This record gives sequence, C-alpha cells and structure tokens, in this order.
Amino acid sequence: MHIEIQNLEMTYPNGKRALDGVSLSLRSPSLVGLLGPNGAGKSTLMKLLVAALLPTKGAVFVNGSPMPGAERALKAQLGYLPQDFGLFDELTATQFLSYMAALKGLKDSRAAVQEAIAAVGLEEKARARIRTLSGGQRQRVGIAQALLGDAPFLILDEPTVGLDPEERIRFRNLFSRVARDRLVLLSTHIIDDVQSVCDHLIVLHQGKVRFMGTPSELIRSAQGHVGTFLAKNAAQEKGLRVTARINTAEGVLCRVVAKALPDFVRPETPALEDAYLYLISGEAMA
Amino acid sequence: MRAARLFSLEARRLLRGRLSLLALLLTALSPLAGLTFYRPIDPVTTLDGCLANPSLAGGLAGGVLFGLLAIHECDRARRARVETLVDAAVSPLVYALVRLLALLAFAALALGLTMLAWLPWTAWTAGGVFDLQTYLLMYLVFMGLALPLCVLLGGAAYQFTRRQDLSIVLFAALCALSLTVWAEEWQLCFLNPCVWAVSDDFTNFRILRSVAYVRLTWLLGLAGVWGVSWLCVRRYGKGALGSLLRAARRVYRPAVALCLLAACGWAYAAQPFVDHSNPDLTAMTFYEIPFMEGVTCLSRTADVRPDVNAGTVWGRATYEFANASGREQTVALAINPGYEVTSVKANGADVPFHIGDYQESNWALLQATLPADAQIELEIVYGGFPQEWNVSETMQGSDEISSRYICLEHASLAPYILNAEAEGGVLPATIEVTLPTGMTAIPFGTAEAEVVSENGDGTATWRYEDEGPGGILYAGDYVCADVEAAGLTVRFYYGRKHQGIMEEAGAADAIRAVAEYCAAHYGAPSFVPDGTLKLIESRVSGGGYATAGASLADEQDFTAANLSDAAKGGMAGEVMIHELVHQWWGLGCMFDVADPSGAWSAEGLTVYTCYRIVKELYGEAYAQEHYVEMWRAAVEGYARNFYVRNPEYLAALPEEEQLAIANSLSQIRQYSEMPLKILKAEELVGGEAAMDAILSGLFNRELDPMYPYLTYADFLAACGLTEEDLSLETDLSL
Repeated sequence: MHIEIQNLEMTYPNGKRALDGVSLSLRSPSLVGLLGPNGAGKSTLMKLLVAALLPTKGAVFVNGSPMPGAERALKAQLGYLPQDFGLFDELTATQFLSYMAALKGLKDSRAAVQEAIAAVGLEEKARARIRTLSGGQRQRVGIAQALLGDAPFLILDEPTVGLDPEERIRFRNLFSRVARDRLVLLSTHIIDDVQSVCDHLIVLHQGKVRFMGTPSELIRSAQGHVGTFLAKNAAQEKGLRVTARINTAEGVLCRVVAKALPDFVRPETPALEDAYLYLISGEAMA
Repeated sequence: MRAARLFSLEARRLLRGRLSLLALLLTALSPLAGLTFYRPIDPVTTLDGCLANPSLAGGLAGGVLFGLLAIHECDRARRARVETLVDAAVSPLVYALVRLLALLAFAALALGLTMLAWLPWTAWTAGGVFDLQTYLLMYLVFMGLALPLCVLLGGAAYQFTRRQDLSIVLFAALCALSLTVWAEEWQLCFLNPCVWAVSDDFTNFRILRSVAYVRLTWLLGLAGVWGVSWLCVRRYGKGALGSLLRAARRVYRPAVALCLLAACGWAYAAQPFVDHSNPDLTAMTFYEIPFMEGVTCLSRTADVRPDVNAGTVWGRATYEFANASGREQTVALAINPGYEVTSVKANGADVPFHIGDYQESNWALLQATLPADAQIELEIVYGGFPQEWNVSETMQGSDEISSRYICLEHASLAPYILNAEAEGGVLPATIEVTLPTGMTAIPFGTAEAEVVSENGDGTATWRYEDEGPGGILYAGDYVCADVEAAGLTVRFYYGRKHQGIMEEAGAADAIRAVAEYCAAHYGAPSFVPDGTLKLIESRVSGGGYATAGASLADEQDFTAANLSDAAKGGMAGEVMIHELVHQWWGLGCMFDVADPSGAWSAEGLTVYTCYRIVKELYGEAYAQEHYVEMWRAAVEGYARNFYVRNPEYLAALPEEEQLAIANSLSQIRQYSEMPLKILKAEELVGGEAAMDAILSGLFNRELDPMYPYLTYADFLAACGLTEEDLSLETDLSL
C-alpha cells in the first residue's frame, strides 16, 4: 500500500485553512503516528484520506492512482475508525459487524467478524445489543469494524479514547501487530501510545507538517533543549516552556523546554513528549 | 457483483427491520380501508366494492406507508451517526441507489403478499364476475404502481433536504395535493387515480390503461426527480448544490435524470386518452360548416377492424358523392381526435387532406379536396387509439376496445360527414366490422348485424345496413333474450357473465312492467319498427341513452345487489326504467334542445314518468323519498347556490369554471326543477289520472312536420296553466 500526498491544501468554506502544503509519502508496512495539537489539521487530513473531503489544492495518490478516481479502490482496502461515530443501537455487536462486513463486500464475512471480535476481546458481548454496551465496549466495536477483513490500510483516529489503561496497552500491541504487514495511520493525543508502537511520526501544526521521521529522530532533535530546575520565583520561568511541575521535598521541580537552556536549568535526557512539546512550542521553529 | 451483494444486504435488513415489517403488514391490511372508510368509488358493481375500492385504498395507504418508510430508511444511518463508517466502506451514491432498489423490491414483496392474501376473499365475494386477470391487473395498477411512486418521492425529498421532518412535510404536501386540489385532474392525482367505476360483466382495459399511463408518467417524473436528488446526496463534505455539481461531472448522470423528466413532460403532454375539445359545450362550430354546393352524398361504407389487444381501430371508409357543381369542393368530416388518417383517395387518386388542431365535442375536423368529377368515390383509411371527450376525463372507460367488449361511437367508428346533404335526406350506410369470434355485433338502432364470413383466424366479419352519417356499435360476449310486452318485443342483450344473475333476478319481468306501463298510459312509440326494441346492457358508463329502436342501460342497473335489493321490491334498477321511458319521452315525443340551460327538456317528463312507475312498483313512500324529496333538495340547493343568487360573480370566473357550474346548474333544472313543476301541475289539474290523460294527449298529438317538438308552452296549454302557476320560487314546499 502506498499513499502519496502532494502539496495538499484544504480551506473550508468559512475561510479556515486546515492544511497548507502538506506532502507525505506513506508505505506499508508501517505504523505511522499522527500528532498535533487540536486544530492542527489531523482530522481533516484523515477525512481527505478516506475521501470524506476533497482537497482545495494538491493531490492524494493511492497506489499511484489519483483520488477521487481511486475512491472505490481505496475503500476496498480501507479500515477506518473516526473519532466521532455511532452504531446501530438496535443491533447486536455481531449483527453490526456482519452488516459492516457485507458493506465492505467481504466474502467470508462470518469468519472475518469472529476474528475481529476476538481481536478486540468482545466475545462475551458479541450477542449483546449495542445499546447495552459501555463506552469502552462501543469503542471496541468501532475498532473491530475497522479491523474487519484485514484491510491493507487502517486509519484510526483516537482509537484508545474511552479505554482503560490495561485495554489501551492491549490495543497498542494489537495495532503494532497488525502493522507488521499493513499501513496503519494512528492519530492520538496520547504520546505513550505513539512512543511505544509507532515506527514513524508525523507532527502537524497549524496545517503544516512540522516533523516527519522516526520517534528517535524527533527525540534527538530535542537533545540539549530539555531540562529541570527547582522553582524559586516566577521570574525564572520567563522565556521557558514549562512542560511539567513536580512537587518534591525541596520544592517544585519544573521540567522545561527551550531553544537555549539558562544556567540554572539542569539538562535532562528528552522523552518523546518533551521533543513533541519542544517542536510545537515554537522554540524549534524559531 | 458488489452492488448485488449490497442489494441483498439491504433487502435482508429490511426483512428483519421491525418498522419495515410493520409497514409491510399494514400495507397488506390496507385494502380493508376500501371496504370501510375510504371508498373512492360509490360501490355499485360487485367489483367496485370488492376489488376496485380495496386496491385503490391499498394504493393510497401502502403508498403513504412506503413513502414514510423510504424517508425513515434514508435517515437511518445519519440518525445513528453511522454515516461516516458506511461512507468509508461504500460510495454514498452507490449506497443510495442500492437502498432505493431494495425498497422497491420490498414494495413489490408487499404487493405480492397483499394480492395473495386478498385473492381468496375477493374470488369468493365477486362470485361469477371474478376473473384472475382483472384481479391481478387492478392490484398491480391501482395499488402496486403507487408504492414505487411514493418510495421515489419520499427518497427524493430526503435526498434534497437531508432532514427527516422536512422530508415528511414535503411528502405529505404532495400527497395532500393529489387528494385535494388535483383530485379532479386525471393526470395529476397520482395517489388517488380517477377511477369512478369498474365493470363486472365486460372489461376494464381502458381505465386500467389510463391509470397505468398516469402512474407511469409520474414514475418517469419522480424517477427523474429522484435522479436529481441522487446527485445531491452529500459527499466530500459539500452541501446539496456542491454535491450535485460534483456528481454531475459524470455527464450521463444528470443526462439520465433530465431524460426521465423530459420523457415525463412528453408523456404528460402527449397523453393519448383524452382529447382537447373546446370546453364550451354549446360550441357547434362543426355544424356551422356550410354544405358543399351541388354535392350530395349517395352512400357510405366502412370496413372497421378493431385490434382488441392494442385497443386500437383500423378502418377504411368510402363515400359516394354526386358532384353537380363541376368544380373542386372541400368535404368536411369529423373524426375521433385520437385517429390518424393515412390516406385519402378520390376515384383512386390521392387527394390533399388536412386534420385541424381545433377539437370540439370529441371531434377533430378532417378536410379533403373532392375533384370536379361528377361521380366521386372517396376512400379514407384511418385508425388509431380513440380518445375520449375531455368533459368526462375523470370518468374514462367508455371507448373500451377489448376482446370482450367494444364500444365505438360515431366518429370513432368511421369519419362522420358534416357538410354534404344526403340524397333524398337519407344516407344509406353499410358497415362491416371484424371481431373475434364469440363477440356479437350490436348496432345501436334498428339495424341488425349478421355474420358474413368466418375468417378462420379467430375472427368473424359482421355486416349491417344502417342510415345516416354516424352510428354507434356495441360488441361483446352477449346473451340475447326476447321479452314480449304490450305488443312490443324487447330484445334484451346482456353480458354472458351476468346470465345467472339476470335470470335469477327476473330482469325480463321488470322490462315487461315498464313497457306495459308506458304503452298503457301513452301508447306504443311510433319509431319502433316491427314492434322491436333493443335494450342493451353496456359497460358501466354512468347512465344510458336511447335512439330509434334501441335503448341503452349500463350494467350498474343489473348488478346482483341492485337486482336483488328487497327495498326496491326486487325489481331491476331505475336507470334502466329511465332509459326505457326515453323511448316515449325523448324519442316518441321529441323536445327542442336549442336552449340547453333551460329547464324544459325530455328529462322532465322522463323523470316524472319514472317516479310514477316506481310509485306503482315500490309504493308511495319509496317514490316520495327517492324522487320528490331528492328533487326538492336539489331545487332548494339550486336556489341557495351562490352563483344563482349572484350571477355577476359567475361571470367573473374563468370560462372553464363558468361552464362547469352552468352545466351543473342546468342539470338540476332539467332533472329536478321540471319534474317538481310537473308534479305541481298534476296537483293543479286534479291528480294523476288527469295528468295521465293530458300526457297521453300530448304524446299522441298531431305533429307539425316543420317543428315536431313538444314545447313547454304546449304542455302548459294542455294543462290550462301558466308559467306563474308552476313557479317554485314562492312555493318550494309542495
């Protein structure tokens, strides 16, 4: 699976520019993490990739064929979990998944449904009406429908929202497993999810691609720009981006990112979250 | 293949949906409404009650149910917020199309189940007049075609608005229009077609064709509208217009929708069923065409070959002329507006001809050039699908041409000469008509038809000698029974399907009673040659009429229910009596019809005589209730009518409405006001016996050959009364 995005621009009818000159190349197998603050253009990019929107400018190629001409081919290979979705409450989980499998035109839909239910650990609730499911269980049904039929291209928008930590880890591992032979685009706010499973990262900010590479590369880019200090007065924080405050016996320990660390800040080894925050804080861009 | 799988998925989902199953169940039960509270046809014939009304009700209720179901189904994914998931799996356009097809298939299933469920009951109730073909056709046309119309309408409303509430409002508005404002517009009332009666004894192909045509016209239009709405299915985050512009980039999509809309417009404008006659019923333009100078018509023939499968006619008519003028002349003939003329030849050579656009009284004007030759044989080859007069557009079915019944009147039978005098005032006519074997040809009048050849192809050719420029031909699977009464032989023709009912009900006795009453009170009608009078049962047509030697009564009078109604003394229907009485008042004694808006006509004395016969047969109370009270109510309604009291407002209405109101008012005057006046005269002259003597005198009076009509003044003079004596304005409570 090869998705090529060239100079993509998207401006909504109200004038808001959501994407500005985005160019990307995604190839399977890969698990690509899509990061960015709210309003960065992540959902817009995903909608463009599932042909729910048409770009104002630029092009998306699916295995070399331009969209929207390749829409049918794309949908035949796509598993999509949007951030906000509903389910037919009157159906059971199995019925709903069977319906989606039939919509996707899966030949052996019964086996595909069983497989997807097992993958998300919903066996016990498979015959329960969807209206009786909890928020996390509904989210799992959503994930299951995206996984149906081993789609070569998975787009998952905030898939672990509503899941408890144990489930999050389980799904993280599941995504990692399915990405061995597929292309998975994972959009999330949870840096831990990305750090542990993604082999590639894309950081979007204000409609532009700010970073594209491996998590290690992103972390390396923050080397020497992350540190800590014990806060004594407010003036110390001037010019610094505080990413965390930890109460210790000596006082409040502040973790900061900055282009140039002041002398009173002790350099630290950056984590992915630090690198991400450093990237979008404007320091790196400056 | 993918679409087929999606279709199967949607169809299965509909079969499992509670709401869709409820819609199916209610649709299957909806014919019940036609037996109870929704009866668009006053059920007179057996099939009116047990087949037409249930299927029409099924069409209305089922249509509404399926329209609402379509809206509900269209909104389903959006309501459950599943649209994003569905759209990511399948194109919204494909999904919308598949959903429509699944709904249509589900509607077909509902129709099939309804037909299956109601078949035993209908067959049992209809008894001898049941036939499976009529059953299937009526359910298919009256009910079945309404369902896809409403599915398309509901689906289109949703696809335009993408809101369930607005879609329901739009759908309901169009249904309400069909049921109210458009109810009298036969091409517009898509949900409640103009079916006013159906036949038991004969066939209903004309009305079935007409309703099917209207429904198919709407189907084309709504499919086109749905096609446009389909282009508006929201995609790529765009609104209706943006989606439409995007979807229309594939030109074939809007092209198909526009072709469907154009086909609908064409089908609407080019409908073949009803003519475009001048709505002014008093217009007599064709009769005012001056006669050709020096040209007389010596004889005419017609070779008429109805195509009972297509409902069309092919004919060749010839006319012999003597032209003493020594110059070319233009002959004018009236022809059914639905016919085309393929050739006109005079003495074997083609001559120019033209059919005008102007139509009047269900006639179009054919004009052809006659050469200057002294003797001319004019041959006209014509044919087509006969159109009915637009004054009765909501009561279609009279020009039926089918394998069991044919009615061809005047210019529908053969071109009718308008501007040539007949030699000696009599135009001999020889008519040949080729019919399926098993049909009997019955010329309406004194002529008798006989088979002249069996053609060996399932048809036989009948021939009869007639007189005059026109004529009416009935044909069908008839039984003929001769009834002797008061020195007359009434040759009674009725449909074979009705034989058992007629014999059981003793209809012949009723005929005998009427003939005996009139002959005893007024004498035998002078125009009945050899003392023989044909009484023909026609396909349901809303009444009957009479001519020399023949009288027509429609099958409504002979239904099992009517004939065995104990409240009527077990006698045959009263319209039959009415039409028989016209053999005396109307034919035996003629009335000038120059003033159609006046109260005096043959109807006054005919209705009065019917009242007297009914009074004798069924008793005074029955006659008082069904005649006198009804006349009085009609006359009181007339007196209260806004336009009667304020004629200046009538003049302000559009011409068509003025005519409709004026026609309706003149009917009240003739059918109710005048009988009431005659009844008043009866009181004033001393009772029934005195009035009978006066009427007998008038019937047998010596006629003025220049003006052989009975006038109101003659009637008043015979009674020794004045117009003021019979005035009802001051005394409506006789």
